[in-house]
Amino acid sequence: MKKLLTYISLFLIPILVVWILAEVFYRTVPNNYTYKHQQISNNKDIEVLILGDSHTFYGINPEWLSLKAYNLSNVSQTIYFDQLLLEKHINNLNSLKYVVLAVEYTTLSQADNTQEDIWRKYFYASQMDLEVPLVTWYNPKKYSLVFSRKFNYTWNTYKDYKVKGTLIGCDVNGWGNTYSSTVDSVEMKRLARVVAKKHEDGSMNFSLNSERIQQMIDLCKSKNIEILLVNMPSVPEYVSLLNSEKWKKIDSVCKQLEAINTNVTRIDLLNEKQFILEDFQDADHLNAKGAKKCTLTINQYLNK
Amino acid sequence: MLFNTIDFAIFMPIIFLLYWFVFKKNIKIQNVFLVIASYFFYACWDWRFLGLIFLSSIVDYLVGMSLAKTELKSKRKALLLTSLIVNLGVLGFFKYYNFFIESFQEVFSLFGRSLESSTLHILLPVGISFYTFQTLSYTIDIYRKRIEPTNNVVSFFAFVSFFPQLVAGPIERASNLLPQFERKRQFNYAKSVDGLRLILIGLFKKMVIADNCALAVNEIFGHYPEYSGSTLFFGAFFFAFQIYGDFSGYSDIAIGSARLLGFDLMQNFNSPYLSRNLGEFWRRWHISLSTWFRDYVYIPLGGNKGSQAKWARNIFIVFLVSGLWHGANWTFIIWGFIHALFFIPLIFGNKNAKFKDIADQNKLLPSIKTVLQIGSTFLVVLLAWVFFRAENVTHALLYFKGIFSISLFSFPTVSRGLVLFLIIYMIFEWLQRDRKHLLEIDFINSRPLRIAIYYVIVFAIFYFSGDTQPFIYFQF
Repeated sequence: MKKLLTYISLFLIPILVVWILAEVFYRTVPNNYTYKHQQISNNKDIEVLILGDSHTFYGINPEWLSLKAYNLSNVSQTIYFDQLLLEKHINNLNSLKYVVLAVEYTTLSQADNTQEDIWRKYFYASQMDLEVPLVTWYNPKKYSLVFSRKFNYTWNTYKDYKVKGTLIGCDVNGWGNTYSSTVDSVEMKRLARVVAKKHEDGSMNFSLNSERIQQMIDLCKSKNIEILLVNMPSVPEYVSLLNSEKWKKIDSVCKQLEAINTNVTRIDLLNEKQFILEDFQDADHLNAKGAKKCTLTINQYLNK
Repeated sequence: MLFNTIDFAIFMPIIFLLYWFVFKKNIKIQNVFLVIASYFFYACWDWRFLGLIFLSSIVDYLVGMSLAKTELKSKRKALLLTSLIVNLGVLGFFKYYNFFIESFQEVFSLFGRSLESSTLHILLPVGISFYTFQTLSYTIDIYRKRIEPTNNVVSFFAFVSFFPQLVAGPIERASNLLPQFERKRQFNYAKSVDGLRLILIGLFKKMVIADNCALAVNEIFGHYPEYSGSTLFFGAFFFAFQIYGDFSGYSDIAIGSARLLGFDLMQNFNSPYLSRNLGEFWRRWHISLSTWFRDYVYIPLGGNKGSQAKWARNIFIVFLVSGLWHGANWTFIIWGFIHALFFIPLIFGNKNAKFKDIADQNKLLPSIKTVLQIGSTFLVVLLAWVFFRAENVTHALLYFKGIFSISLFSFPTVSRGLVLFLIIYMIFEWLQRDRKHLLEIDFINSRPLRIAIYYVIVFAIFYFSGDTQPFIYFQF
């Protein structure tokens, strides 16, 4: 027995060393989660809070808004985390007047714990100081971020860091500033097919996420904060490849939320003609040029 | 708790240390500890279904004890019937209720009638088919007077719920596993090392082979109208390796974990894709289930006694029931039917028992004849897997229509790296075909080389594993 335990221990030493190094890497190198948490905690006088996924992360640049704003959205951030973030910070943001909330094709039907966010919840819990009910106290991943991701992702993140020198992909206002290019129409059509396939979850069940949005609206109403429900722009090919019935249902839910809540304004930019091919990084994300257009459009609603 | 999670990586060492250091001295306490650990292991999925394992255990324990006390034929039959009704009743309700209701409704609708009966929203308890069959074999063997019942309730509960093989086998026989709970276990270094090797290769099969194939399979089967015949063919090819890596990987981890605790479980897979005909395939694939059906269905039906027609009938029944065991769906029944269809000619040609030896023993390369035999067997198995993977019969037929189109001869749009990797993997299986598992590498005298091999596998698991997928056989 002693022999076996000794050999196992010796065998595990290199693996433990790699694990510790990777854990130190995650805990010490700033990334979008730690950076945004730090920024939102230090900017208590902001008037506009932007929530949502990659569409708002890359698509709304607070620099072009006339009020002081912070973009707290993030890649693959679901309504579940939007709500947790809002609830955590709303009491500290005394000047807050508007919350911008994105409603995309996947927003309302998104289930919890999908492949996209199954690891992200640990980063929200650990690096944005959120109490995430999905993360149980007895889950080992709560205590080690390395466990939450496949090792090849960790390695690729490290390589990315070595090349760029940072893991932060946003500016001081939280806007994702790494999308600045575009693609030709042929490539855009190909991307539209790929992304549409990825985004089609086959679900028309909106009840859980609609309820979460309503709870956020109610919370904002109690503090006299306006909600701007935004459908972000996408290329027409992407929109047409997805389920038209679902789009109609999303539209109807947004209209209903606007109708029954006095503090909700809906801004539908999905099929907005002002956005042309050159405004997009890919099929469903605006680039810097498109983000400026989009933000200025939203700004008109703030001034109203 | 899945074997391929960090939870199990924490659970298993804790169990191992407590088992050998704290509870070693008293076998009864050791067995109680195993029952508690096993119930905890199962409760991590759904504690509500622990009652079913308890019910199955207590019924068969009491039936076993009662069978030992009576020689009266009618009473013995009644006791056996009690066990069959309880076990198959629970299995039938949880697994097949909706299937039969829906099938009857469809049959009635064919005649323009509607059957007023509603389906229920029933959750399938994980591993129910496995532990039900295990407890059934215990009672049937006592009824047949092949084994003596145990009067040790803790040993019996440990036998039924033993966590390494509780949710997906191997389906153990009481004659093999139960006595191991009743005698003192001794720690054995060589056995434990072999157990660790099995766990390592099992994780590799599951996380690297199965989970990577799963990504391709889900994509191709999920969007089959968009793909060429050749790509669909490779979709089935990947599924063949997904299910093999998934299930044999699980079995390896189960057998390896049991070895660490001093138990020997039966071998469940033996390089099935190197089989030279279907008879050999079924002696190498899910061995614990194949032998269960042989002993408790095929032989009671008459086996190979009687006319060839009767023999063929028995074969068909076994394969159809085997298909139904896998799931409440016509796709599984058709999968069984296809295997039966290709198995029958072997029976009539007296070739079903052929190839009990190791293929091309003592030769490095296979002969052309062997390659053709292995290739043709694999092709039949691969095409039958389409039914196994398809959502329903229509899906399977449309998938076949897609394969057997002119685009079968086009270049497939699949990962060449994955195909190459699977071919290389099979070459290693070929080279290790006369050993019990792929990582039985004691013949390598150099310890540094053996350790280097372990590290390569560990690295592959960490670096090349696909997104975690549930074990396929848990749904059965």
